[in-house]
Amino acid sequence: MSDAAFLNLEKLTLAYGDTVAVKDLDLSIRKGELVAFLGPSGCGKTTTMRSIAGLLSPASGAIKLDGADITRVSANKRSVGLVFQSYALFPHLTVFENVAFGLRLKKLPASEIESKVTAGLKSVGLSKFSARKPGELSGGQQQRVALARSMVMEPKVLLLDEPLSNLDARLRLEMRTELQRVQKETGVTMIFVTHDQGEALSLADRIVVMLNGAIEQIGTPEDIYNRPISRFVADFVGFENIFAVEGGKLKAGNGPIDLSGSLPPDTAGLAWRPRMVTLGSGPFQGTVRGASFSGSTREYLLDTPLGAIKAEEDAALAARETGSTIAFDLPVEKAACLKKFG
Amino acid sequence: MFQNRAEALALALPAAVFAAIVFLVPVVILLAEGFRSADSWSLSAYTTFFSDPLNRTVFLRTFRLGLMVTAVSAVIGYAAAFAIVNLSPRNKGQMIGLVVLPLMISSVARTYAWIVILGRTGIVNQALQLVGLSDEPIRFLFTETAVFIGLLQLFLPLMILSLISALENMPKDAIPAARVLGANWFQVFFKVILPLTKEGLVIGGTLVFTGSLTAYITPAILGGSKVLMLETLLYQRVTVANDFVAASVIAFILIVMSFAANLLLKRLATARNKR
Amino acid sequence: MTPRVFTPLVLFLVIGFLIGPFFIIVAASLSGGETLAFPPQGFSLKWVAKVFTVESFQESFAISMLLAIGGTAAALVLGVPASYALSRYKLPFSETIRTIVSLPIIVPGIIVGLALLRYIVVPFGLNITLTLFLAHTALVLPYAVRVVSASLNNLRSDIEEAAVLLGSSRAGAFFRVVMPNIRSGILAAFILGFVTSFNQVPVSLFLSGPGVRTLPIDMLSYMEITYDPSVAALSALLAFMSIGIVFLAERFLGFSRYV
Repeated sequence: MSDAAFLNLEKLTLAYGDTVAVKDLDLSIRKGELVAFLGPSGCGKTTTMRSIAGLLSPASGAIKLDGADITRVSANKRSVGLVFQSYALFPHLTVFENVAFGLRLKKLPASEIESKVTAGLKSVGLSKFSARKPGELSGGQQQRVALARSMVMEPKVLLLDEPLSNLDARLRLEMRTELQRVQKETGVTMIFVTHDQGEALSLADRIVVMLNGAIEQIGTPEDIYNRPISRFVADFVGFENIFAVEGGKLKAGNGPIDLSGSLPPDTAGLAWRPRMVTLGSGPFQGTVRGASFSGSTREYLLDTPLGAIKAEEDAALAARETGSTIAFDLPVEKAACLKKFG
Repeated sequence: MFQNRAEALALALPAAVFAAIVFLVPVVILLAEGFRSADSWSLSAYTTFFSDPLNRTVFLRTFRLGLMVTAVSAVIGYAAAFAIVNLSPRNKGQMIGLVVLPLMISSVARTYAWIVILGRTGIVNQALQLVGLSDEPIRFLFTETAVFIGLLQLFLPLMILSLISALENMPKDAIPAARVLGANWFQVFFKVILPLTKEGLVIGGTLVFTGSLTAYITPAILGGSKVLMLETLLYQRVTVANDFVAASVIAFILIVMSFAANLLLKRLATARNKR
Repeated sequence: MTPRVFTPLVLFLVIGFLIGPFFIIVAASLSGGETLAFPPQGFSLKWVAKVFTVESFQESFAISMLLAIGGTAAALVLGVPASYALSRYKLPFSETIRTIVSLPIIVPGIIVGLALLRYIVVPFGLNITLTLFLAHTALVLPYAVRVVSASLNNLRSDIEEAAVLLGSSRAGAFFRVVMPNIRSGILAAFILGFVTSFNQVPVSLFLSGPGVRTLPIDMLSYMEITYDPSVAALSALLAFMSIGIVFLAERFLGFSRYV
């Protein structure tokens, strides 16, 4: 188990005053992993990250990094880097001095600082900006300075708070590539916090979905995307048709509905993405309420005895008229089986 | 932006002319008086003033107390402002209210309280005798210490308020960023907080320094004639000796010191903005 | 030191230092003894009652009220148009005008009082009350301009242009559109000006004579004669008045942002 548990959170409980933000959180992260904390605002993801950085001391529980208990180690003595959402560059210092800040505190020889900062700025492509003040840089450039400032410290873990949220679409792609490159080149363990499932899916090796201060699901992007285990996760990753299951029957509309296939015994709910809904045949009937065209597909909103259903079809097929009644099916074998509902 | 000059002047001039007649002109004449001697311009009033050792003592004391009050209020101000800024918004509002409150209370009333506290039978003396630290009442009133305490209490709120707004204008997360990069609290203060709040410190410092120089009530009540400051000396020169020339000299010194502090403030503030 | 200890400790000490003396004044003024003392000797309201019977306090209170209300109102009459010109117009010499108008804050009050006495009252034989009124008006002017300018600057200037385009005259636009929106700023300026003027000592120091005295000056001279707790009682009453005003102002205007 040597590659397991590089960073361990054990029964971690975090609170602001009397407000508990995170309760009894257990998580272990392997060396070199790129992990995303995904969840809506207020779910405790940023709080957890700040406690890993040492900016918030846990009410109880432990944080272990590389075999050492760092729960009570203060923020300035942990080998943890943090790229803030606001970047938090020091406006009174040049780009060079920002990146050199931590190295100077370490009292490294000037020549070593010089070469590390130069290399750090070069790797993020900002060599020629070293004499500028942060205020003269664009948002994307500021973020790369913040990244370089953390990376020159050679942290054991690099934390990133919403690294892509303040960037426009083009820069977002650039930064995504940048982060993957940094991780590949340095092998640093990275954790980033995001509320955007797309970011988490495309960037992370593993995703930790959080809700109300607890972990809802941990898994690979494929797990999370295809096999959500709770109603919340299913909803969060785009399953639009979600129903509770009770006694092997679907709870929807006016009453329980028998299902054709067999379900695992602990199934609490079923969820379908719009494109998993079969249109044109099946046991159910629905009226087309509205349609929207999105290039390659058409999405329909159906009024059905089960409630509103969203379905999607290839745009190459003929459009279905609003007001017409069509048959449809919710194939059980395609559905995501939810263990938690509510 | 409206362009009509006549309209603009009609709106602004009454106030300016009023301030000029009631303030500027009489004060300028008063100041000029100090540079006149036997119908010609001369600095003799100044050489006479500074040749008197008492006047020199008073001048240096005023300057020294001003600096001390400013320095101590800066230290306390940072601690208090930092504590207040980190409160929840609700508590922060209440605390700021408590800091503003004394500014609204008559300085006669505020200074008078120190007589009750520092007097011969005041609380401090009673406490000292009770604990056995002294057998006889110690004289606190009419000492520099009393004036210092009174001035500090009078002007500390101005420093705290300036530093609160400076701390609030600091970039979010600058302090945690420095922590994560390895700075201890001492380094966080000197490498991040101080440079980023310099402007607020300068504004607060100027207010406190100028206020201390030009306060009258506090040195009058707590210093009396034993601990004269420039303002009380001026009053004494006029009322006791009818010496308007000395008054003019003191006035000029006070104004120069106030303006110097003000200019320094503007200088430092713009130096920062230019970057 | 952890924030959990640091924050309350610092706040307790600092607020205690700033507000504590006020409580001591209140306690001392409720003393039953004949001289100023703390802890108070017994409890009585006699010193509070005495304040209302001292004739000079009554007169000086009336004068201070008159100066504070009249002076502040006059300062606003001068200051509001000036602030408007400074914030909305391309004004020639605007920096000079701004400096002149804010001079009374920079120049030490005692000097102003002396200068007015020497060069206005004595040579022109100007009435003392009138001179005090002028001095207090000038003294409050910088605060009026500062606070009103701040609230004008927070108000988008295009609303006047919109009003003018809708057929209003420039003056009409000011009274119909601007005034209602800066009312709380003007009120805040009035309160700040009132308190400043009422508590003002140095300017009035030379101008107050035997007949005409402001309340703080009267208190100072009373203190020189007697050592009974009535000045403490008066101080406490005045402080309560200020606290009441500020509390209401804070409640309804969010006053502290203007200070």
